[in-house]
Amino acid sequence: MIADRAVRRFRFAPYLEFGKKAIAREATYRFDVFTSIGSFALRMYLLRMVWTALYARNAAPRDLPLHAILTYSAVALLMGLVLDVDQVSSLYTKLHDGSIVSDFLRPINVPLYFFADGTGEVLFHAALVVPSLAIALVLVHIDVPSPGTGAAFALSLVLGYFVGFTINFILNASAFWTLEIHAVQLIVTWLTDLLGGELVPLVLFPVALQHALFALPFAAMFSTPLLIYVGEIPPERYAAALGLQALWLAVLGAVCVVMWRAGSRRIVVQGG
Amino acid sequence: MVRRVLAVYGHHWRINALTALEYRANFLLWAAFAVVYHGTALGALWVTLHAFPSMNGWTFRDMTLLYGLWMLAHALHDTLFFGVGNVPEYVRDGEFDRLLVRPLDTLFAVIATPGQIFPDELFLALGFFIVATLYSGVRVDAVFVLCVPFVIAGGTLIELAINLLVATLAFWFVRVDALKWIVLQLESEFTRYPIGIYSRGVRLFLTFVFPFAFMNYFPAAYFLHKPATLALPPVAGLLTPVVGIAFLGLAYAFWRFGLKRYAGVGH
Repeated sequence: MIADRAVRRFRFAPYLEFGKKAIAREATYRFDVFTSIGSFALRMYLLRMVWTALYARNAAPRDLPLHAILTYSAVALLMGLVLDVDQVSSLYTKLHDGSIVSDFLRPINVPLYFFADGTGEVLFHAALVVPSLAIALVLVHIDVPSPGTGAAFALSLVLGYFVGFTINFILNASAFWTLEIHAVQLIVTWLTDLLGGELVPLVLFPVALQHALFALPFAAMFSTPLLIYVGEIPPERYAAALGLQALWLAVLGAVCVVMWRAGSRRIVVQGG
Repeated sequence: MVRRVLAVYGHHWRINALTALEYRANFLLWAAFAVVYHGTALGALWVTLHAFPSMNGWTFRDMTLLYGLWMLAHALHDTLFFGVGNVPEYVRDGEFDRLLVRPLDTLFAVIATPGQIFPDELFLALGFFIVATLYSGVRVDAVFVLCVPFVIAGGTLIELAINLLVATLAFWFVRVDALKWIVLQLESEFTRYPIGIYSRGVRLFLTFVFPFAFMNYFPAAYFLHKPATLALPPVAGLLTPVVGIAFLGLAYAFWRFGLKRYAGVGH
């Protein structure tokens, strides 16, 4: 009954604490920081060389000059620092070792706890954007968009982040049923890299494929904000592009709710 | 002695196979991941070279052979020598001390430690290599047929040498994960393209320091009659086994040196 009262009088402070704790936890993995920044620098160098070589010997696409595609690659890599973080992995860990049971006994909203914990984790990784941006600027020139485009990009990025959050939540929550999710998770991550336009802009795909890919949730994560940034999506199409992202967010969010309700009713604890 | 070693090695594969059979669904998912991993890499290459047909004179067809050579050597390495990459973890957990007191060679004990190893990626790589050979239009003559197995074996040794080097560093620096990850990235991502696109320093690095370019770039350039980089003669592409043996020799000497000095991390 204590739990009921706590839910009725919602307090924000505990979730702020969960977020702070997550930041502190992530900060203890200092070596991962070096890995992230080191591999960012390698990828940035590689992409610069690849695109430069390709543009040197071929006719450039009419609306995507070299500086635009280098900007695209740099921003995509920077976004990856934040969007490629699986901020719901603690849900899987807790389902796997059974400690999720104690979370259900606490006077908190459990999904909101995972959200706060994941946001803290992501905020820590977001701090890596600063040194990485400095490295990127040494290697390539990044175009700065107009304030209007920048604002649309920011909004689209936030929507993309939440789409990513729901996909991660669905993957981790599937451990309610399958208990082992890593291979599936990696499959989805790799598919997102390609089909979401993180590796190669979707506008370079064969036209027939483009239409299908733009409609998928992967594009809503990476491609939409990026294409807004480099001006491939012009202002008159902002509403449609952001609307599609919001639609995917609503659909995937609904799936999360359904999965959580069904999953939390059938918790199976493996010994422990 | 040889019979004992072979018996232990046979057991290693028996346990690997039993593990795969025990976790069938998981095994199939990991096999699916191998397909997706290489599929996305090739997909990205295909899309890029669909939009831009030539990369320094290399087409998508040429680059499938480049990828196929790397993939086959890499898959062979991961099937036979995957355990070497686990050494830093063993050192950290103190597990390594157990391997040291085994009555067989320590490096062999490392290699013959069972895990979730199954040659699924090797089969995939073999299949892809055959497809890539036909698709790339490379001339399949006696030289090609005779040299490819040696090039693949040499590529496997190169990867083993570099991994052994990194693993040995774990005797002094307990956390080498960052270095391991970066080396893997150099090997898997930088070998995807003809190295002529890189700056001179990186080309020299990939040829003489971490000679990943000998896994696929130099042999592919030789077989496809492309001009090689760094003023090396085309026939350098057939030197892969020599490079592999030389680097493995160096790495093994470093490993022996490290073993003698290894003092544990204090468990």
